[in-house]
Amino acid sequence: MENPLEHFELHTLILLRLFGLDISINQAVVMIWVVCAAVFLFFWAATRNARLIPTKLQSIAELGVEFLRGLILENMGEKGMKLFPFIATLFFFILFSNLLGLIPGAYTVTSQVMVNGILALAVFALSVIMGVALHGAHYLSIFLPQGTPWWLMPLMILVEIISQLARPITLAVRLFANMTAGHTVINVLLGLVLLGGVVLGWMPLGFTVALYLLEVLVAFIQAYVFTVLTTVYIGDAIKLH
Amino acid sequence: MPQFDLHFLSPLVFWSVVSFGALLFLLYRYAFPEIFRRLEEREKTIKDSLDQAERLKQEAQQLLSQYEAKLKSVHDEGRTILEAARKQAQEQLEENEQRIEQETRRMLADARSEIQRERQEVLREIQRTAADLTLLAAEKVLARSLTDVDHRRLIEEAVLEIARQHKTT
Repeated sequence: MENPLEHFELHTLILLRLFGLDISINQAVVMIWVVCAAVFLFFWAATRNARLIPTKLQSIAELGVEFLRGLILENMGEKGMKLFPFIATLFFFILFSNLLGLIPGAYTVTSQVMVNGILALAVFALSVIMGVALHGAHYLSIFLPQGTPWWLMPLMILVEIISQLARPITLAVRLFANMTAGHTVINVLLGLVLLGGVVLGWMPLGFTVALYLLEVLVAFIQAYVFTVLTTVYIGDAIKLH
Repeated sequence: MPQFDLHFLSPLVFWSVVSFGALLFLLYRYAFPEIFRRLEEREKTIKDSLDQAERLKQEAQQLLSQYEAKLKSVHDEGRTILEAARKQAQEQLEENEQRIEQETRRMLADARSEIQRERQEVLREIQRTAADLTLLAAEKVLARSLTDVDHRRLIEEAVLEIARQHKTT
């Protein structure tokens, strides 16, 4: 049986260097481009013949935009709408990565912890920037929940710092783990189909189909979770408790 | 796990940032404003439509009450006209009745006087005839003609006398 994690291995396709920095092209990079192109094409098609009575595609795009706006207004308030383009792009990038990754043979970009990591770091950086821009030095009070007794202060500050730092890590790892696990399970089951042959193979095959459906759901849920947490984290910085 | 192979860190991070940034720019520049514009436009259209519907409804309500008032006034006017016509007809009827009655009475009186006159005439005729007959009879009896006016007058007086006697009896 083949290694179920082999699917996630990257292979350099084209060697590239920029000022000594390795920017070689591999499957994940190609897939990032595919995802970006798909998202852009989706919006291009949705807005190309946009009209008052929306087309189906337009409805879907508008539904997504409305949904994200609701999310932002709820968690970040009116000020958060400035970040709408970033958060919406984040959502659709992750969603399309998850969904396109489900196509057999395609690479799942979001199963790369380094890609998720840079997105999560961007979210973290944005939250800090927003917090400092809006509140200045007062932003530091995010490390000290209101009403903390003085003798708990050192501990609480430590806990809050860890909690803040854990946010981008958990954000990245959650997405990576979900995508990796789902694909790995499907891979293992497909291996079992080959092992079981005609007699027993239909059983894992049935599970694979069911899991695939589940993975489609997970693709949406994880994109949603990542986005919700993004709005909550940045919202915290905007509102400061 | 292959995903932790740091060999690919720089290509992945670099291309993620570049691609994501490009996508963000394109969507920010072209897609989102268009969608928001559409959404706002639709919101406005729906709001306008609702407002207009409300306005039209009010207008319709107003027209309805106007028409109702007009209808009522027309109805009242109709009733007045009808009432007047009925009264006029009644008057006409009464007048006609009166006139017919008078006419009838007059005609009756005329007829009565006519009959009276005719009767007088007939009576005179009878007297004349009776006189002639008497003369004729007397002529026959006397075998000679009584053409003498005096005689004739005598006989007529005799007849009148007879007639008077006849009338009194």
